[in-house]
Amino acid sequence: MLKLLWPGLLCTLGEKVLNPLISMDPDALMRLQRLQGKQLAVCLRGIDIRLVLTAQPNGIWLNSHQEAVDCAVETEFSALQQLSDPSQLTRLIRENKLQIDGDLQTLQQFSQFFQQLNPDWQEKLSALLGDAVAHKTARAIVALQQGIRNYLQQADQTIQELAQDELRLTPVAAEVQQFSREVSTLAGRTELLQRQLAGLLPQLQASS
Amino acid sequence: MSEQQHSGNQDSTHFGFKTVARDDKVSLVANVFHSVAAKYDVMNDLMSLGIHRLWKRFTIDCSGVRPGQKVLDLAGGTGDLTALFSRRVGPTGQVVLADINESMLNVGKDKLRDLGLVNNISYVQANAEALPFADNSFDIITIAFGLRNVTDKDAALRSMFRVLKPGGRLLVLEFSKPTEAWLSKVYDVYSFKLLPAMGQLVANDRESYQYLAESIRMHPDQETLKQMMEQAGFSETSYHNLTGGIVALHRGYKF
Repeated sequence: MLKLLWPGLLCTLGEKVLNPLISMDPDALMRLQRLQGKQLAVCLRGIDIRLVLTAQPNGIWLNSHQEAVDCAVETEFSALQQLSDPSQLTRLIRENKLQIDGDLQTLQQFSQFFQQLNPDWQEKLSALLGDAVAHKTARAIVALQQGIRNYLQQADQTIQELAQDELRLTPVAAEVQQFSREVSTLAGRTELLQRQLAGLLPQLQASS
Repeated sequence: MSEQQHSGNQDSTHFGFKTVARDDKVSLVANVFHSVAAKYDVMNDLMSLGIHRLWKRFTIDCSGVRPGQKVLDLAGGTGDLTALFSRRVGPTGQVVLADINESMLNVGKDKLRDLGLVNNISYVQANAEALPFADNSFDIITIAFGLRNVTDKDAALRSMFRVLKPGGRLLVLEFSKPTEAWLSKVYDVYSFKLLPAMGQLVANDRESYQYLAESIRMHPDQETLKQMMEQAGFSETSYHNLTGGIVALHRGYKF
């Protein structure tokens, strides 16, 4: 009964989160000017919804429709984070994890905008907690973020070493490269042999 | 079926369940909206449990609005759709909020100004049956919860068709007929028992909300309204039932 309405609810919630964040970044509105009037559609595979982002001087507004836009992107949820890195785009397209229809520059501009979005939490908090407490809280949050990032990096490294060196569950990068080289050599030799056999076959047929 | 056929003879029309002279309906409807204007938004949220916001969102989605377009929000009342459109058409576009009722228009004007939406919105007090705009003026026209209050709906639809640009679209968001029998029964109890009581409690105005429930029942159903739009000249007309048909969104194009 509410099937048609839930994309609207999602868009409303999205705007309620996104636009206050934009307003907390003093430079964001200036950067939005470059995007003004551009529309980007994002369609996530497996989720039956097409989100359209419209950039205007006062924020980014969300809709859900199938109309023509400047750039339409169809991708997988797992590939979303990699969209922020322009060097990954070609690989994602080749692996069929990303499909782009329209102006690639629009996608890059939106991606750049979100990457550069830097809300001034300290300013917002200072209105509620006072300058000193807000400053200390903000510093503590930054330190916590950094700590979590370091911990995750370290955990990643430890798991990798455990899997590759201790338990020998996965090969190291050098082994994979060596294996790839050997496979390539074998493929080349097989192809050569195949061609030699193809040349010998008529001679064998003629002699028999 | 035309509106005239729908409402019976040419000199009379319906005002809720009552039959009144056609000339009297405008002032009767005007009195209702003068009375409810101040509490209109609160009552909308209460009566629909906030779902009217999602119906309006869906209307925006179906409009396919683009930056730079010119939009007419007819019977726009307190400006919910105008606010959504204004942000999307941006500084290069324009939204005209039109309503026949001055009180509603004033409430809308105040609300939109409080939201900081001033640059691309203009306000016009206008009768939907005779719109004061040049032919082919708008890319999109919406009329949300307004058509059922119009005396001559056919004339209003023709007028909208005239001012719409070729390629433009009309969206009519209006109460309609529930598609399920059980829902219809629940909805009847809600409309005729609870709604007037809520009107009395919150807005101190039982009669206006009694009229609301009656006017919904007298409004053409989904298929009839679709036919009326086609008769007015609209092409590729279609409709979506929302919340089990309690509300329907009709869409038609001018080609």
